[in-house]
Amino acid sequence: MSGLQKSPWVIHYDASSCNGCDIEVLACLTPGFDVERFGIVNTGNPKHADIFLVTGSVNVQNREVVRNIYDQMPEPKVVVALGICATSGGIFRECYNVSGGIDSVIPVDVYVPGCAVRPEAIIDGVVQALGILEARRALMAAANFAAGVMTIERATAADLPELLALQKVAYQSEAEIYGDASLPALRQSLAEMTEDFGRMTFLKGIVNGKIAASVRGYDDGQGTANILRLSVLPYFRGRGLGRRLVSAIEAEFPKAKRFEIFTGHRSAANIHIYDKLGYKRFKSEPFNANVEWVYMEKKSS
Amino acid sequence: MVGLISLLVAFPFVLGLVLLVTGSNRVRRPLVGLGVIGVIVGSLALAMPGVPASVMQLPVSPETIGKGMLAIEGIITLYLLWVSVRTRQPIIALLALAQAALLGVMELGGGHHVEVARYLILDQFSVILGLIIGVIGGLICLYALDYMQEFHVHHHPEMHDGRCMFFAILFIFLGAMFGLVFSNNLIWIYFFWEITTLCSFWLIGYKRTDESKRNAQRALMMNLTGGVGFATALFLLARSGGPIELDQLVMAKPALVLLPVALLAFAGITKSAQLPFSSWLLGAMVAPTPVSALLHSSTMVNAGVYLVLRVAPVLQGTVAGILVALVGALTFLVASLAAITTSDAKKVLAYSTIANLGLIVLCGGIGTHEAVWAGILLIVFHAIAKGLLFLCVGVIEHKLHSRNIDDMTGLILKMPRLSVMLQIGMAGMFLAPFGMLISKYAVLKAVLDSMPLLAIFIVFGSAATLFFWIKWMGGLLMVTHPHENVEKNIGWGKWTALYSLSALTFGTCMLFPLVSYYLIEPYVKTQYHLAQFSAMSEGNIIIMVIMLALVSLFPLSFLNYGRNVKVVDPYLAGANKENGIQFTGSAGTVRDMSMQNYYLSDILPEAKMMKAGVIFACVLLAGLLLKVVFS
Amino acid sequence: MSPWLRVLIYLVVAPLIGGLLAGIDRRISARMQARQGPPLLQPFFDVAKLWSKERLVVRRSQNFYIVFFFVLTVFTGALFFCGSDLLLVFFALTLSGIFFVLGAFKASSPYSFVGASRELIQMMAYEPIVLLTAVGLYMVTQTFSVDLIAGGAHMPIILLPGIFIALMYAMEMKFRKSPFDLSASHHAHQELVRGITTEFSGPTLALIEVAHWYENVMLLGWLFLFFSCHWILGLTAVAVCFFMLLVVDNVCGRVKWLFALRSAWIMTLVFGCGNILVLWLLEVFGILKLS
Repeated sequence: MSGLQKSPWVIHYDASSCNGCDIEVLACLTPGFDVERFGIVNTGNPKHADIFLVTGSVNVQNREVVRNIYDQMPEPKVVVALGICATSGGIFRECYNVSGGIDSVIPVDVYVPGCAVRPEAIIDGVVQALGILEARRALMAAANFAAGVMTIERATAADLPELLALQKVAYQSEAEIYGDASLPALRQSLAEMTEDFGRMTFLKGIVNGKIAASVRGYDDGQGTANILRLSVLPYFRGRGLGRRLVSAIEAEFPKAKRFEIFTGHRSAANIHIYDKLGYKRFKSEPFNANVEWVYMEKKSS
Repeated sequence: MVGLISLLVAFPFVLGLVLLVTGSNRVRRPLVGLGVIGVIVGSLALAMPGVPASVMQLPVSPETIGKGMLAIEGIITLYLLWVSVRTRQPIIALLALAQAALLGVMELGGGHHVEVARYLILDQFSVILGLIIGVIGGLICLYALDYMQEFHVHHHPEMHDGRCMFFAILFIFLGAMFGLVFSNNLIWIYFFWEITTLCSFWLIGYKRTDESKRNAQRALMMNLTGGVGFATALFLLARSGGPIELDQLVMAKPALVLLPVALLAFAGITKSAQLPFSSWLLGAMVAPTPVSALLHSSTMVNAGVYLVLRVAPVLQGTVAGILVALVGALTFLVASLAAITTSDAKKVLAYSTIANLGLIVLCGGIGTHEAVWAGILLIVFHAIAKGLLFLCVGVIEHKLHSRNIDDMTGLILKMPRLSVMLQIGMAGMFLAPFGMLISKYAVLKAVLDSMPLLAIFIVFGSAATLFFWIKWMGGLLMVTHPHENVEKNIGWGKWTALYSLSALTFGTCMLFPLVSYYLIEPYVKTQYHLAQFSAMSEGNIIIMVIMLALVSLFPLSFLNYGRNVKVVDPYLAGANKENGIQFTGSAGTVRDMSMQNYYLSDILPEAKMMKAGVIFACVLLAGLLLKVVFS
Repeated sequence: MSPWLRVLIYLVVAPLIGGLLAGIDRRISARMQARQGPPLLQPFFDVAKLWSKERLVVRRSQNFYIVFFFVLTVFTGALFFCGSDLLLVFFALTLSGIFFVLGAFKASSPYSFVGASRELIQMMAYEPIVLLTAVGLYMVTQTFSVDLIAGGAHMPIILLPGIFIALMYAMEMKFRKSPFDLSASHHAHQELVRGITTEFSGPTLALIEVAHWYENVMLLGWLFLFFSCHWILGLTAVAVCFFMLLVVDNVCGRVKWLFALRSAWIMTLVFGCGNILVLWLLEVFGILKLS
C-alpha cells in the first residue's frame, strides 16, 4: 500500500482568482470540513506536494509561475482546477490579459467548476484526483516506466472522455489563432468521438502516467491513410511529441500507399511538424470566413 | 645523536643568520628546504623511543651559554630602548628596563647560588611540542616560500621585499622555540621567550604599514609585560634559593613557590593572548598568513600555554589556580561569542585561537591530571587544525582577493580541494568525533571533578563555536551561481604543506588513542605519580573510532552522484527564471538570489563584549596577584 | 537486558513509537482545535507516500547529507539506549544535526538557507542546557554513563529541578514545536514555506521524518532519565511532559528567533546554572554529599 491515497499533500496556488475560491479552500481546512482527517495537509511547498489546487485563470503574469510550481512538484502529481475561472477562464475569459483556464499552461486532471466552488465540491474533486494519482503511481511503479519519456499505446474506450478533454484543451490554441471557436475539433461530442472510435485507430502518448497527446487515423479503403486530430497538451509542446505520434500512427497503417493530413492555413507550428515529416501541400479548401484547411500528403516509403 | 637537542636549537639559528645575508631567491629556496627537512627530521628523531641520554649533551659549558645569553639579553635591552625612542612609546623602554633591572639584580646578586642539575629536559610533553614546532613549523616555512613569492611578485610589488629578513627570522624563531621547550633552566626559557617576543614584533611589522607598526608595537608591549612577570618570577626564585629548574619547580611545595608560579602563569597568559591581553593577537592578523599560522596559532602562543600546563601541578587545588582557570574560561566564552560577529576569516580564526588557548589555560589552572591530559591533547589538535586553516585562508585570499567569509560561498566550485581541506580543518576544530571534541569532553570531565561552576563557561562557549564554524562551512557548500575553478598555479610548496596538514589532522584524529597512550599518558603519570591512568574508557574510544569511520564514509556517497535524482530549480515562490538562479522581482525586474549569514552583531556587540571581558579579566588577574602576594 | 538487545529493540521499535507519537500529537492537537484530526497511523501513511515519490533535488549532493543525518541520529539513539556515555551522546546528536544543516545549506535556496541559519541559532540556543543536563547528572550521580544513571538509587530530578525546567524549555525547541518552530514547521503550519526541509522531496523527506522519530524517542528517553529509578512514575512523567509540550504547541504562536535565543539562554542561566550553583554551594557547605 503506497499511502498515496491516505496522505495527499496539497499545494494551493491562487493564479488570478478573486479569492472567492481560495476562501473556500481554506474553509476545507477549518473544523467544519476538516480535510486533515483524510491526511490532507496544505504544504506551501511544491516539492512536498502531490495535488496542485489552482484557483483563478491564467494571465501573462502568472503563466510562468504556474508552470514553475508544477515543474517543481515530484511525480506522481495531479492538478485540480478549482472554480470556473481555473477551468475555463470564467467570466474573465474574454479579458485582454487572460489566457484562459489553467489547462492552457499545465495539464489538468480534475475540473471542479463553481463560482465560488463549494468545499464539498472541492473535497469531491480531490477524492477523484486521488484515484487518478493512485493509477499514476501504479504506472510509475511498473518495471518499464521511464520518467519523463512518452510511451505510445493504443487508446481504449475507457480513455475516450480524457481524450476528448485533451482534444478540447489542445485545440484552444487553434481557436485563438483564428479567433474562431467553431472548429469541429472543439465541437465534437463524446458520442461522436465514440462513433469515431469504432472506425478509427486511436493512439495516446503517455508521459509520467498522464495522457499528454493523442492522434487518430483511418484507412479510406483506397490506399490512403488519413491522419487527424493530432493533439498535444500545451505543457508538453516543443518536445517532439507530435512528431513521434504522427510517425507512430503512420506505422499503424503498413499497407497504405499514401498518408493525408490537414490543418488550418495559419497553424504554422503544425505545418512545420508535417513539413519535417516529409508532407507536402497539395490542396486548400476554405472552411469558413476565418479558416481555410490546408491538405498535405506523403507517399509511403 | 650527540647533542641533538643543542643541534636542533642551534641549526635554525645558524641557518637564520645565513639566510639573513642571502639575497637571491634561487639560493634561498634550497636553504629553506634544507632547513625544513632539518627541523622535521630532527624533531622526529627526538620523538623516537629509546633516544640515548647523549642527546642532552651541550656543545659548550652551560656557564658559557649562560654568559652568552646574558650578553644577548643586554643587546636586546639596548635595541628595545632604541625601538622605544624610534616609535615614541616610552612604555617599551620602561618594560625593557624593568626586565633588565630584575635580571641584572638577580644575576649579579643571587643567581649564582642556585644549583642547576639539568639544563635540558626531554620528556614526552617537550617531544610533543618539539614535533609541533618541527613538523608543523617546517611545513609552514615550506608554504611560506611560495606564499611570499606570490605576495611580493603578484600582489604587492610596491612593497619592500624583505624576504631575507623574513625567512631568517622564521628560522631564528624556530630555533628559539626548540630552545624554549627543551630547556629546563628557567633563565634559559626566559631567554628564548624574549627572542620569540622579538621575532613576533619583527614579523608583525613586516609590511611596514602604519597599521602593522602599531600592532607590532602593541604585541611587543603586551609580551614584554609578560616578560616582566617572568623576570619577576625568576628574581623571586633566585632570591629565595628556590628551584630555578622547571622540573624541580613543579615538584616543590606549592606554598613556597606559588607566587613565582602565578607570575609564570601570568607570563603565559600574555603570551597566549588571553583576556585582558587578547588585542595583540587580533591585531597581529595584519601580518602575512604564514606568520599568523606559525606564530599566532600553532607555535608561539603554544609557548604560553606550555608554560601554564607545565606549572599546572603547582596550581592544582589553589585559589590562584582557580583564578587562572577563570581567566581561561572567560576568554573562551568571550572569544567564542566574538567570533560569531565578524566576517573577516582571519579574525574568526584569531578569535577561535584565543578561545582554544583559553580552554587550555583553564585546564592548566585546574591542574588535575585529567585536566593536563585534556590540555595537552587540545594543544596537539589545535596546532594542526588551526595551522591548516590559516594556510588555506592564505591561499584563498590570494586567489579570491578577499578574506571575507561571505566571498567564500560556493568555494566548493571555485576551489574544490581547498574547500575540502578547509572543512577538514574546521571539523578538526570542533566536531565529534574529531580530536577537539575528545579534548572538550575531557575538559568538561576534568572541570566537573574539580570546579563544576566553570562548566557554565564551557557550555555557552561551546554552543557559540558550533554556530560560527557551521555558518562558514555551510557557506562553502552553497552554490547559487556557476563558478569557474580558480584553483590553479598554486605552488608545490603550498600543496605539500596543505596535504600534509590535512592528512595529519585526519591521522591524529584516527590515531589519537595511540598519541594519548604513548605520549600524553606517560607524561601525566610521571608528573602526578600515578600508577594507573587511562584518560578515556575503552568503550568511549571505540565509539569515537566508529563515529569517525562513519563520518569518513561520507565521500563515498559521491559515487552515487546525480543518480536517480531529477534536478529542478530551487523554490522561489514560482518566480524562477529559466536560468534557475534568478527570479522575477516586482515590476517585472530580474533579480539575483542573495543570501547573507547572521552575524548577530546587535546582541553580541564585539567591542563592548571585549571591553567587559578585559575589565573582568583585569579584576581576576589583580585578584590572582594580590592573593598570592598576601598569602 | 543486554545492551545489544536494547539497541536492537530501539532500532526496530523506536520509529514505530515515534510515528505513533507524531500521530497522537496530530490527533490531540486536532481535538484541541475542535476538529477530528487524521487517524493515529497517519504519519506512517505519510512516510509510505513520500517513499514512493520522485526524488527532486536542487543540487545533486544535497541528499547525501540527509542520509548521514539519518544514520548518525539512529546511531546516537542506539548509543543512548545501549547505556553508554551521555556526554558523547549529546555531542553525537550535535554532529547529526550539523549534517542536516549542511544539507540544507547545500540546497542553495533562500528558504533552505534561512531555515538552516535558524536551525543553527536554535542549536546554539539549546546546546548550553543540553550540555548542562549532562553536567548536572554527573554532579548528582558522579558518572556520565547512562546505564549507571538509569540504575541509580535516587531520582535525579529531586536534585535537578531547575535543569529539568530549563530542559523542558529546550525540548520544545528540539521537538520543533511552537513557539520555537523557527527553522521548519510541522504539517499544517508553514514557516519560511518549509524552512530547512524546503528543497528535499520524496524518500529524502521520508528519511528526515523517520530520523526525527528516532530522535524524539531518544529525547523522551532523556526526560525519563530524570525519573529513572521508578519507571512507572518515569513513564507517566514523560507522558505528562509530552502532553504539556503539545498543549504549549497549540496555545503559543511562533516567536522571533532573537527571542528564542535570548529566552533559552536566560532560562539556562537562571534555572540551569542556578541549579548547578545551588548544588555546588550545598556541597561546599557540607549539606549535601554527592561524591
